[in-house]
Amino acid sequence: MAIKPTKFQHFLMRNPIMQFFTYIYLNIKILKIVRIGHDGTRNKK
Amino acid sequence: MAKVVIIGAGVSGHTAVSFLRKNLSKQHEVVMISPNSNYQWIPSNIWIGVGRMTEKHTIFPLAPLYKKKKITFIQAKVTTFHPEGDNEINKGFVKAEFVTGNKKGQTIKVDYDYLINATGPKLNFEATEGLLPGTNKVVSVCTYDHALHAWKELDALIQRMRKGEHVKILIGTGHAKATCQGAAFEYILNVESELSRHKVRDKATITWISNEYELGDFGIDNMTMKWGRKLMTGKELGEMVFENQGVKHIKRAGVYKVEDGKAYYETLEGEYKEEEFDFGMLIPSFSGHGFKAFDKEGTDITDKLFKGFMIVDADYTPKPYEEWSVQDWPETYQNPSYKNIFAPGIAFAPPHTISKPRYSPNGTAIFPSPPRTGMPSGITARLVADNISDMINTGTDNITHLGSMGNMGAACIASTGYGILRGGGVSITTYPIVPDYEKYPETGRNLKHTIGRVGLAGHWIKLSLHYAFIWKAKMKPFWWLIPE
Ligand SMILES: Cc1cc2nc3c(=O)[nH]c(=O)nc-3n(C[C@H](O)[C@H](O)[C@H](O)COP(=O)(O)OP(=O)(O)OC[C@H]3O[C@@H](n4cnc5c(N)ncnc54)[C@H](O)[C@@H]3O)c2cc1C
Repeated sequence: MAIKPTKFQHFLMRNPIMQFFTYIYLNIKILKIVRIGHDGTRNKK
Repeated sequence: MAKVVIIGAGVSGHTAVSFLRKNLSKQHEVVMISPNSNYQWIPSNIWIGVGRMTEKHTIFPLAPLYKKKKITFIQAKVTTFHPEGDNEINKGFVKAEFVTGNKKGQTIKVDYDYLINATGPKLNFEATEGLLPGTNKVVSVCTYDHALHAWKELDALIQRMRKGEHVKILIGTGHAKATCQGAAFEYILNVESELSRHKVRDKATITWISNEYELGDFGIDNMTMKWGRKLMTGKELGEMVFENQGVKHIKRAGVYKVEDGKAYYETLEGEYKEEEFDFGMLIPSFSGHGFKAFDKEGTDITDKLFKGFMIVDADYTPKPYEEWSVQDWPETYQNPSYKNIFAPGIAFAPPHTISKPRYSPNGTAIFPSPPRTGMPSGITARLVADNISDMINTGTDNITHLGSMGNMGAACIASTGYGILRGGGVSITTYPIVPDYEKYPETGRNLKHTIGRVGLAGHWIKLSLHYAFIWKAKMKPFWWLIPE
């Protein structure tokens, strides 16, 4: 049985003001992923 | 003076060429060999395929940019690799065939000190009988011209629906081992959203077909992510989104043949079934380009360079799924036999898949191949370019920039519909891309950085990225500040 978002969650997903804050949050999350950077794995065992 | 040759002006090749030109002084030569005259931003093809963008938004000509940046551009397609040279040229070279102009059909030898193979995948439509775009009611969105054709067909279908006809739409993977589920996922949701906008949604049954064991596997083994304060799996996410947009689904299906409006598939349970459609978009399998390689004497050494895709510093020892580890994944993208050859992006041969291999009772492998999306393609290209620049600038062979997909994150933004106020997207960040069960025993990923959200903001992010990456690809002011 699929998870169904509630009516309120639906409202939040479509509300431009709430979504503006989500946009900022997601951009910060993406920048954090970028900031962690990347490295090898073999000498880190 | 050093000469660096890059093959393939796609996401990774173009990233590599941009950073090499930035890092190296003009006394060093940077050469791009690619058959297409345009750069294309592939992720926006799904919007071309629903008529919300045209190719003008997603492509630009490479020759003027490369001329301005002092990058030699050879519009040709590489056919063979000669890493030891031959009796005429005493260093590595590739043979390429011109694809345009008065030299069309002629071949050229291009020698190099360093070579970057960034040829991405071959779209292997031939691996599935009847899958060629434009035949049997199937289209593709893998290139901008395919996507333009897809929109033409979809538009014609919408006109039929307006007249009252009920139609069946089938979108997903067109091969038992296809990857790039994300692109098909975006396309099916954008088609659904467009049909609603055109007020014909009730006239269509929309079905997803995929080789994934569970929805939302996306070839990265059904990740678990943070969803607000709760945890959510890719499966739950996929089911939620499809339920919300009224999309039916068929999973664990290996499509092996397409006839006029009919897809034939084998299930993981070993049953043979078929699904009819009026409009189908099925992602083909991706394969290597079938390049051959020769040593100085002309002996075939393809096995030293290629394993389908190019051999790099991965651990290719066959192992069961339970023994896979992040250490299997490459971190320098350097060919072990020829240390001046590198393969970032999709061009490198992965050690194995990321999703668990599964076989039907008939022995058919039905599971996704490992995806390498835009972010890892760009990151691996940049680190290869930085390593080569360092080697040239310092005169050493030291490799200092490493980047394994087991120690690298990615952001995946999947559009679910276009429009500043009525659009939407699924936004996921994941760290690492390849799960590391030693470091993160519960889910294989760091839950602080592996999160998901659905909503309008996803559309804004995908659209912002579209403009940012085209700015970057055009090497406009401060382009290098935009991360891969
Ligand atoms: C429809 C679609 C949507 C996508 N959406 C997203 C998304 O939203 N986000 C995301 O991160 N990723 C997305 N991807 C994946 C992304 O496009 C790939 O990860 C990326 O393009 C891989 O880069 P690459 O440089 O390795 O290969 P490519 O971009 O395919 O580039 C390969 C280049 O090599 C050239 N070439 C091929 N053969 C030769 C030859 N013989 N000689 C010389 N040159 C050659 C090709 O012409 C091409 O220019 C999508 C893919 C598709 C198909």
